[in-house]
Amino acid sequence: MFIYEKKLQYPVKIKNCNPRLASVIISQYGGPDGELGASLRYLSQRYAMPYPELKGLLTDIGTEELGHLEMIGAIVHQLTRNLSEEQIKTAGFDTYFVDRTTGVYPTAASGFPWSAASMAVKGDVICDLSEDMAAEQKARVTYDNILRLSDDPDVNDVIRFLREREIVHFQRFGEAVRLAKDKMDQKNVYFTNPAFDK
Amino acid sequence: METEMKPTPCGDACGTLPECAPLAVPYVPFQQTCSKKFSQNEALNHGTLFPGLDLPFRSKAAPANVVQNALNELQALEFVIVELGLYLDTHQSDAEAFALFQQYVEMERQAKEAYTAMYGPIVQTDAAQSKTYTWLKDPWPWNFQEGGDK
Repeated sequence: MFIYEKKLQYPVKIKNCNPRLASVIISQYGGPDGELGASLRYLSQRYAMPYPELKGLLTDIGTEELGHLEMIGAIVHQLTRNLSEEQIKTAGFDTYFVDRTTGVYPTAASGFPWSAASMAVKGDVICDLSEDMAAEQKARVTYDNILRLSDDPDVNDVIRFLREREIVHFQRFGEAVRLAKDKMDQKNVYFTNPAFDK
Repeated sequence: METEMKPTPCGDACGTLPECAPLAVPYVPFQQTCSKKFSQNEALNHGTLFPGLDLPFRSKAAPANVVQNALNELQALEFVIVELGLYLDTHQSDAEAFALFQQYVEMERQAKEAYTAMYGPIVQTDAAQSKTYTWLKDPWPWNFQEGGDK
């Protein structure tokens, strides 16, 4: 089960509101490579995993991603505090505001609401771990792109932290492939799917 | 399981590779054991415990300087535990890393006890130690008021 801890993994303290930036960063809340999809991907994939290292790793990274979802929510919230009548008309944010006011809603920056179609659970060890490695890279690039678009140092500190986590997770998933492979048919890892075939 | 990793002369940024890497399987070198590690505060600033994995984007900026209060000190300890936990998930026989994990868990336990006694609950049941139900007290983690931070 899960128990809530009343603190963030990494501090989010954004002094200046910036609705334009919020309308971009929301993509890591509910976009195709965002933290919601990341946590649900890993926490859902773990059921089919046959080896304890993989069950543990998917549980632990999936849990950390829920913490990252909360950090992104905090960034969006703080960037849209106390907006003036003029600020809500900011190009790019006005279209969000009309539907959500300043609530935090899982959507891509493009306006497409969060979709389970942006993640995958295939029930095959090598396939799911390969998906996870790609997912970490996609999230890393999204954070690169946010850093290109943002000049707020309070935001960038947090984004750099989250981006670095994607790199560490990629490394761990890569190691997980090797741990899995060592337990599979050494001559042909595609001989069976140990998540299904007994 | 054949995951014993021989000590290698590689630098920290280099992982260990087997003699023949497999075809048609994604391949990432294993991080070697006894990798260099940051202190807990540096680890939180860099987003990783391991300098070998610290690969920033276009970073002209100096790393963050996050640790400024009691909460940040606790966050730094807990971050090292998360990072070591993931490392141990794929390196369960690394005794040195496990000993460090045990040390950090003990340090975190003490720091959390001191923190909750001073500033209030982190998990809901911590509120049982107060005279009243302090769980609801502002600020919640996503709130930030300048100057109002503990």
